[in-house]
Amino acid sequence: MKDLLRILIAPLMWLALFSAVYGLHGLLCNLGITSTALGFPLPRILLVVAYVIAIALQGMLLLLLYHPRIAARSPFVRHVSHVTGWTGLVATGWTLLPVVLMSNCT
Amino acid sequence: MKALERHRKLTAIWASEPGIRGWFSTVNHTDLGRMFLVTAFFCFMVGGLLSMLIRAQLATPHSAFAGPEIYNQIFTMHGTIMMFLFAIPTFEGLAIYLLPKMLGTRDLAFPRLTAYGYWCYFFGGAMLIFSMLFGIAPDGGWFMYPPLSNAIYSPGINTDFWLIGITFVEISAIAAAVELTVSILKYRAPGMSLDKMPIFAWYALVTALMILTGFPPLILGSVLLEVERVFGLPFFQADLGGDSLLWQHLFWLFGHPEVYIIFLPAAGIVSTVLPVMCRTTLLGHGWIIAAAVALAFLSFGLWVHHMFTTGIPHMGLAFFSAASTLVAVPTGVQIFAWIGTMWKGRPELHLPMLHILGFFVTFVIGGLTGVMVAVVPFDWQAHDTAFITAHLHYVLFGGFVFPIFAGVYYWLPHFTGRRRFFHLGELAFALVFIGFHVTFLAMHWVGLLGQRRRISTYAPEDGWTTINLISSIGSFILAIGIAMILIDVILHALTASRGRRNPWRASTLEWAMMTPAPAYNVASLPHISSRDPLADDPDLAVRLARGKGYLGDPGKGWRETLTVDIASGRPDMHVIYPANTRLPILMSAVTGVFFLSLLLKFYWTVPLAILGVAALAWKWVWGLGLRDDPGMQPIGHGIELPNAAAVERSPGWWGTVFLLTANATFFGSLLFGFAFLWTVAPGWPPPVWFAASPFALSIGLFGALIGPIAMRLAVRKNRRGGSAVPAFVVAFLAALVLTISCSTMMLRTPAPSDHAYGATLFVLGGYGVFHAALAALMICFLVARVLHGFTSPARRAELPIVGLWVDYASIIGVIVLISGHLPGLVL
Repeated sequence: MKDLLRILIAPLMWLALFSAVYGLHGLLCNLGITSTALGFPLPRILLVVAYVIAIALQGMLLLLLYHPRIAARSPFVRHVSHVTGWTGLVATGWTLLPVVLMSNCT
Repeated sequence: MKALERHRKLTAIWASEPGIRGWFSTVNHTDLGRMFLVTAFFCFMVGGLLSMLIRAQLATPHSAFAGPEIYNQIFTMHGTIMMFLFAIPTFEGLAIYLLPKMLGTRDLAFPRLTAYGYWCYFFGGAMLIFSMLFGIAPDGGWFMYPPLSNAIYSPGINTDFWLIGITFVEISAIAAAVELTVSILKYRAPGMSLDKMPIFAWYALVTALMILTGFPPLILGSVLLEVERVFGLPFFQADLGGDSLLWQHLFWLFGHPEVYIIFLPAAGIVSTVLPVMCRTTLLGHGWIIAAAVALAFLSFGLWVHHMFTTGIPHMGLAFFSAASTLVAVPTGVQIFAWIGTMWKGRPELHLPMLHILGFFVTFVIGGLTGVMVAVVPFDWQAHDTAFITAHLHYVLFGGFVFPIFAGVYYWLPHFTGRRRFFHLGELAFALVFIGFHVTFLAMHWVGLLGQRRRISTYAPEDGWTTINLISSIGSFILAIGIAMILIDVILHALTASRGRRNPWRASTLEWAMMTPAPAYNVASLPHISSRDPLADDPDLAVRLARGKGYLGDPGKGWRETLTVDIASGRPDMHVIYPANTRLPILMSAVTGVFFLSLLLKFYWTVPLAILGVAALAWKWVWGLGLRDDPGMQPIGHGIELPNAAAVERSPGWWGTVFLLTANATFFGSLLFGFAFLWTVAPGWPPPVWFAASPFALSIGLFGALIGPIAMRLAVRKNRRGGSAVPAFVVAFLAALVLTISCSTMMLRTPAPSDHAYGATLFVLGGYGVFHAALAALMICFLVARVLHGFTSPARRAELPIVGLWVDYASIIGVIVLISGHLPGLVL
């Protein structure tokens, strides 16, 4: 089961982070926050922080999957878990990129 | 013992009852796989006939072929049948038939569950198809959007048929998904580690896990909409705190993964058949598996791309647009791996290969139009036009039907043991290919010219007449092609001469047995040391028939197999299967009475049906287990294994884990719905909050805490040879307290029909009551088992299973109670 978890964990984390940031965006829009901090709208800052945290978490997970103590013994599982680990990282970077590019609640 | 004698003995042990009686009592995966496939193809024919009616209607402007009311039923049933009664059951049937054979075992993990799933599918499907015969079929489109589908705008019984019938059929999908997941992870030949597992099994595993997490949101949505229609709880009514967009979220949380649930098994067929047709091995095996996993997860982040026109903020749209474009990458990895496989091999244009080529062309076009509609501004233009209908047909027909036809022709010699003689199939393929592209290329075109989907007619001045006529002609060519495939297959099954084993010279284990396959699959189980066992060990089939593998001695008269460690494939358990029984069909019939009672509003029979299901479930599990300690079981080659009754992580424990995964997704969807309504729906806050009761909350939380502790004490007591009954009594009382606490929440909630807040709390409370009561019932069952001598320190498998249910009931009980009481305490 641990080997299966190694394969599934990174995309699973992407799904959780993606849903969390989408939920946060919905919540911020619903609350109608208009205040600013450091000259930027507060919702934007919160979303960018969430984006950075998401990428950092996914990056750490990828490092863990490469770590000799965590990585699978089976070369096959190791290879597949590395590919899915990279998938998680790239998917997080790409699918949450709109937080720095798009208008917030319009 | 000679091979023939072994064959006769094994057949006597494993065979189903002869004749028609066997259909009702069989629990054998080969029989049930065939029954699934035949029923699914019957539904395919019905759905196909409906599509011809649609095209007949649209062939000319102002057509009087069918009025709008009947036309609505026709297109709704076409979509419903193809998605729910053809595509998913075809995957289930193929996987149920093939997987034990490919994995080198004798049956799936829970044979009676396979049969129960089939009969739920049969009865649920029959319910839907009969509704059509009486002219009361669902008519709100296959995704049944409210407010159109609510009781105000669809007052008849039509929508109820959809909501209740689909929920009934989905029991079958969940049952199959649990069955397949446990079977793939545990029921493999010794030595078959994860890297040696056949590629089809990987795809089936990913698909089964997707069904477990993708279908519960739809089941929840259907339950909520039916409850709204019947009892007036306003989950989707904007004026009472509900939101019709909640339905769209729940539906597409299921609906988009559903596309990949349909595509991935077909990709598994392509990955299995293509290397054989090209006389080589699959290029990029590990990359393909990683791509399938990535595709599965990404598909859960795409659901909003079906809702681009609902007014969601731009940033939200961009998230899902980005995810939708990203999904093309793992799909592309698979496509390029398949092209590379063809490049490195020597492709032979047998009939399965023709269908695979048809798949490539069609699916790639469908994928490209998919990228087009993933781009928001384009989607705004094309949404709800015939362009979308054409796109989804390219994806689903290209991505599923062509590969299924490839699979049918590839495994036909396995199903029948015969050699193809008539060659209608090649002509049929040409007609299907040409007919399909004529029909749906034209439909893209007319969609771009502005024809909306689902319209029953149009005017000549719209300028769509010629294109629609071309499309209709194409559809009839397509229908003729499919009819010819059907005739070809029937002729093959009835008249072709006996063929040799493994006609394709394939390397997977399903070809290591007689064809058609005997009820026991293989006379002894192989030891696997490579991914291509038949290629690397050509004598394997003969050795297995001679009983040289594991469990080759049928002397005990048991239906027995073994399970393995998930990662390494090391044997870890000996399993004895139950025999043929009519219990599954009986239980599915009683389940059907429950659904039919709801449909026809005979509410007095609902509790009777629930009691009937509970009684049959009790009988179902009572028949398992042993009254004596089984001891270590010899499996051959000097290896002895514990019996499944004598371990803590038995097959039942694994099945429970995955069933609870689906259940937790259902509960998670309910919580999502609650949060969605609270934050997004108009009409909030509610006029009155739930009056929190610290006492009811405290005793509920206390019950939720004590139950799992008592169950753990019971497990420990039993393991040490003491009496577990006192701990069971405490666990039972704790479950009872939790039931009462959730019940009071249900009873004290603000009037559920006045606002979505009260309605949601009522359903949450009901969910808590059901699970706490179920846990209490299971503890009673365990007490009865202890008193009848079914448990001992060695025979301990049943306790952890009930422990899982008690844990689950406690966790959700806590969440339910806090969700109900906390706002009242804080606000």
